[in-house]
Amino acid sequence: MMGYLGGVYAIWLREVKRSLRDRGQLIGGVSRPLLWVLILGIGLNPYFRGEVYGEVRFVVPYTYLQFIFPAVVVLNILYTSVQAAVSLIWDREFGFLREVMVSPMPRNLVLLGKILGGATTAVIHGCMVLVVARFVGVPLTLMDALAAIALMFTLSFGLTSFGIVIANYVRGFEGFGVFSNAVILPLYFTASSVFPLDPALTRAQTLAIYPEWLVVVVEWNPLTYAVDAMRGILINFNQFDPTFDLRVVGIMTLVLFLVAVWEFRRV
Amino acid sequence: MAETSGEAGAIHARGLRKTYAGRKGQEVVAVTGVDLDVAPGEIVGFLGPNGAGKTTTLKMLATLLKPSGGTANVSGCDLAADPLGVRKRIGYVSQAGSTLPDAPLMLEIESQGRLYGLSTKEARRRGLELMEALDLGGLERRKSQNLSGGQRRRLDIVMGLIHRPELVFLDEPTTGLDPQARANLWEHIRRLRDELGTTIFLTTHYMDEADSLSDRLLIIDKGEIVGEGTATKLKAELKGDSLTLTFSGGEAAETGEEVAAGLEGAANVVRQGNVLFLNLPDGARALPGLIKRLSDAGAEPIGAELSRPTLDDVFLALTGRSLRE
Repeated sequence: MMGYLGGVYAIWLREVKRSLRDRGQLIGGVSRPLLWVLILGIGLNPYFRGEVYGEVRFVVPYTYLQFIFPAVVVLNILYTSVQAAVSLIWDREFGFLREVMVSPMPRNLVLLGKILGGATTAVIHGCMVLVVARFVGVPLTLMDALAAIALMFTLSFGLTSFGIVIANYVRGFEGFGVFSNAVILPLYFTASSVFPLDPALTRAQTLAIYPEWLVVVVEWNPLTYAVDAMRGILINFNQFDPTFDLRVVGIMTLVLFLVAVWEFRRV
Repeated sequence: MAETSGEAGAIHARGLRKTYAGRKGQEVVAVTGVDLDVAPGEIVGFLGPNGAGKTTTLKMLATLLKPSGGTANVSGCDLAADPLGVRKRIGYVSQAGSTLPDAPLMLEIESQGRLYGLSTKEARRRGLELMEALDLGGLERRKSQNLSGGQRRRLDIVMGLIHRPELVFLDEPTTGLDPQARANLWEHIRRLRDELGTTIFLTTHYMDEADSLSDRLLIIDKGEIVGEGTATKLKAELKGDSLTLTFSGGEAAETGEEVAAGLEGAANVVRQGNVLFLNLPDGARALPGLIKRLSDAGAEPIGAELSRPTLDDVFLALTGRSLRE
């Protein structure tokens, strides 16, 4: 048993070290939040304030920078987690995966090592965003940071599993590029990441401001609840019930992990 | 259960078979039924063209694919009943290599060792030993992207041997190497066997590799073993010298085929397009007569080449096609 844990550790360590050596990934991890925060956040900051739509008053009691910041943390995690797909495709194109499969390590533990490695990397990338928290008006206590890391880890675990499932269907690296544009960004934009659905509004009022299809997409996107939970932790603002948020994130992670286990049988 | 009880490092397979369900529900046969025996400490070359079932057979023996039928005992463990036992005893070096290009070698070796339950220290110790043995001493901090092709293949072998397997599978070990690096690698592989007694089962589609590296050959085609023995024995089984005749067109070659087939002593007559291959006892003496008969039949060859039989001829005779296709 100890031998197997050593194997999980080996795969985890290999994964984390590999991503830390990957300059492209690190540059992406740093530049993405800077762009979103500096350009989009600062640029839209002055226009983000209460508006009156007929009878409806639309207010989020935060600056746009504060509002978007937790979503940028989630964005970085989303990108990095799904990169696990690239790492798996790489291992498959080369012989590593086959060699691991010939070793006495049980498949599920190989998978676990991979996912833990990807999730760890994603948490590191999430923390790179947290570093700039105080500069965008998001003061963090230690407890906030720890809670954020716990949420990041759960989310990363699920999203890395998602990446691994994707890797099983994607042939080659080009396919992955297409995938990331077709899936990651739409998921992100419809997660109420860059615009709010005001919690003070009734559903009828929300529908008066936004087209119904958009509201429906946002409500059905599980990432919406991850972003909302992150906002709850970092700026104490929730658009949905926080326990419901955590339940959605937890169930999503569990389901994605089980799907990954299922898919990994036939790698 | 396999018929013979297996000893460490040996392989005994009977009727090993792999089929897939095709698109319309019909059965697609990848490996029809392979019987093979490998003795401990042997270097066996598994030879066949692409698509012959080489890799599928190798994958089945290495527990990567579940056989659809048949039995096998690999290094003393039953393939179906104890795949984990098999995995502990075998090494597998894939064709593509497995190291990350930008990772220091020792890091990858340690990581591989841990997969087999070795401590970092032990993995490092064995890694250094093996690197020394394979002429990679002093390179442990190098990155594999900075190694030559031959060094990289040797590194892959170090990784495959880290847990001291009794039997190691090498999938096309020298594909893509220059001739000098290939000869050098053969040297190393032979030494591994001589010094460690490791059984080596390698696939290849290079005749010279099969000829000079392997103690014994297994030739597979269309999912079946079609020939088996030492290179010398296989060549001796071919009757006579090999003769290659080139005709100006397919029609002339067809006529040529008929004439040659009627010739006394001619064997293994195979036509590919406008080229005819056959074996002829005492070829140098028989050739002028044959050419005259061909001319009389209106199928004068535009080229003729006579040679001592090579493994390629063996292959052609056994499978009806050239390995170089």
